[in-house]
Amino acid sequence: MKYLIFRDSKRNMESLMKKAPCGYAVDFSPGKENSPDAILVTTDSKNAIYRIEYSSIKKYSDDENIVKKVSKGLKSTIMIDGVKGIDPIPLASFTFKKGASLIKDKFIVGSMETMDGITKESAMENVSDVTVEIMNDALKAGADIPFSLASELATLKKKVSKKEFSEIFQRSIAEFKQREIDPYEAVGIIAAQSIGEPGTQMTMRTFHFAGVREMNVTLGLPRLIEIVDARRVPSTPSMTIYLRHEYEQSREVVEKVMREIENTTLIDVCELETDISEMTVTVKPIPNRLRERLVSGEDIFNVVSDPKTLKGAIVMEREKGNEVTVKPQQESFKNLYKLQEQLKSLTIKGIPGIKRAIARNEKGAWVIYTQGSNFRDIIEKVEEIDATRTYTNDIMEIYNVLGVEAVRNAIYLESERTLSEQGLEVDQRHLMLVADMMTFSGNVRAVGRQGISGKKSSVLARAAFEITTKHLLKAGISGEVDALNGVAENIIVGQPITLGTGSVNLVYKGFGSK
Amino acid sequence: MGKFNVLNHELVPEHYVLDSKEEEKVLRELGITKDLLPKINKSDPAIIALEQSHGDINPGSVIKIVRKSPTAGISVYYRVVVSGETVR
Repeated sequence: MKYLIFRDSKRNMESLMKKAPCGYAVDFSPGKENSPDAILVTTDSKNAIYRIEYSSIKKYSDDENIVKKVSKGLKSTIMIDGVKGIDPIPLASFTFKKGASLIKDKFIVGSMETMDGITKESAMENVSDVTVEIMNDALKAGADIPFSLASELATLKKKVSKKEFSEIFQRSIAEFKQREIDPYEAVGIIAAQSIGEPGTQMTMRTFHFAGVREMNVTLGLPRLIEIVDARRVPSTPSMTIYLRHEYEQSREVVEKVMREIENTTLIDVCELETDISEMTVTVKPIPNRLRERLVSGEDIFNVVSDPKTLKGAIVMEREKGNEVTVKPQQESFKNLYKLQEQLKSLTIKGIPGIKRAIARNEKGAWVIYTQGSNFRDIIEKVEEIDATRTYTNDIMEIYNVLGVEAVRNAIYLESERTLSEQGLEVDQRHLMLVADMMTFSGNVRAVGRQGISGKKSSVLARAAFEITTKHLLKAGISGEVDALNGVAENIIVGQPITLGTGSVNLVYKGFGSK
Repeated sequence: MGKFNVLNHELVPEHYVLDSKEEEKVLRELGITKDLLPKINKSDPAIIALEQSHGDINPGSVIKIVRKSPTAGISVYYRVVVSGETVR
C-alpha cells in the first residue's frame, strides 16, 4: 500500500470535515506519485490521525469551491469526498523513501508492508457430510455431540449394516447423555481439586536437563506456578525454532541460523588490551573465534566506530590485522575503565535476548533450542525459520505477538506438558477450563488475588478469598451492591447456594389456585 | 516476503467475523446477551491480522473461533470484540 502523508493543522482538518465534499488546495504537488492508495494527515508529525477520501488530485486553479490551506504557494487541489478521523497510526510504522522527512508542512510518500494472506487450511474442510449429518441427527435426539465422536460414528457407518448402526447410534447418544455435565455442576471446584491433588506429588524444585545438553529448563511445581501466575518473564525462557521444510535437513543452514541469532558480544570474539600509559584500549580480534561466529573484522570495526554505540570515545585509525584502538575523549582512569566495560558488552550481531542456541537432529530434521527468548524478532527477522511452528515457553510473549487465542493454547499445552513430564495424569478438560478462564477477559489474568479471584464482581466473594478488610472497606466507601448471585457470598449470608439442586426453585401451585 | 501473518501460526486457531444475521443466530442458540461472551481486544494481534482481509472490525462484533481440540476434534468458541488494549 502506498500512502501520501502530509502535515496540517487540526483546525484545517476540522473545517474540511464540515465542508466536504469540496476541493482542498495544498502547497505541494505529488509529482509522479499522483495515485496513492490513501491520503493520511498528521498534525504532530508523530501519528497520522486523519484519512482523506479523495476522487482525484488536480493542478491548482483558482475556483470558488476550494478550501485553501495557505494563501500563497498553492500547487495542487485534492478533490475531497470526505475526511475521517482514524485510530492513530505511528509514522514510524511506514517505510519511506530514502531522505524523505516530514519537516514543516512537507508531504511524503510512504508505504506500509502488508501482511501475508492466510495459508493455513481450515479444519472444517476435512469434515465430511456424513459427520455433519450425524451431528444434526444427534442434536435432534437432544445431544450436542462433539466432532470427534461424530467422525468416529461416520467411519463405523460404512462398515456396519443400517440396523446395527442405528443401534450403535442410539447407545452412543444414551452413553453421551449420561456422561454430560449437569447444569450447575461445580466444574471449577472439580478442576481445582483434580489439578491440586497431583500437584502435591510434584517434586518441589526440580531443575533437570530436558535431554538437551547444557540447557536448563524449569519444570515441575515451580513451572506450573509460573504458568498460572501469568508471570511476565519465565525463569528460564526458551524457544524451539523449526526451519522451513526446504532447509530442514541442511546442516549448513542450521549452523548459519544459529550463529545469526546467537547474541555475540565483543568479548566473545576479541581480546581487549588496556594500555594505561597511553590511555588506550585495543580491540584484538581472535581469528579462530571470528570464523566460528561468522564475524568479519569489518563488522567489529563498524560496530566500534559507530558514534551511537560508543559515547565519549575516540576511535583511532585501523591497524594491521583488524585491530582497533579506542581512546576515551577525556583522559582519566575512570573513563578508561568505563570504556573498557562498555566495549566488553558491545553487541556485534545476533538477536537480543538469545543467549545460546543449540541444534538437535530430530528424525532427520534439525530443530534449534535456545536459551532466552525473543519471539517477535525471531519470526520477523530470520528468513530461514518456519514462523508457523516456532514456539516459545514465554506465555506473555505469545500473548503479545499472537493474541489471546494463541495464549490459551499455550497455557494449556505448557501446563499439560509440565504435568505429564512428571508422570501425572490430569484430565485435559480441567486444564482447558483453567486456560479458558485465564483468557476470558481478552487479557491474560493470573489465577489468584491479582487475577481471576481478585476481579470477581461480588464484594463478599472477594473478601472471602484474601485481604478481607481491604475489599470490605473499599466497598463500603464506594457503596457497592452485592446481588448475591455467586456461591461464596450465599454461604456467607447462610442461603442455599446456586449449585446443583440449590439452583432451581420449586413453587407449589396447590390445587385450587391458578 | 510480507510481514508474518499471525493467523498462520500453529497456536492460533481460525478466526472469523460474523455478520449481524449470524450473530443473532448464535446468541439465540446460546441464549445469552453479547456482554456475557468471552472477550477479545480490538488491538489483539489476531484481530489486527483479520482486519487486513476484512476491513475495520468494530467493538461489539462477534468473532467465531474454530479450535482444534484434543477431546472434541473441532470446537467452536465465540468472543466479542472490546476496545481494550493488548499491552505491548
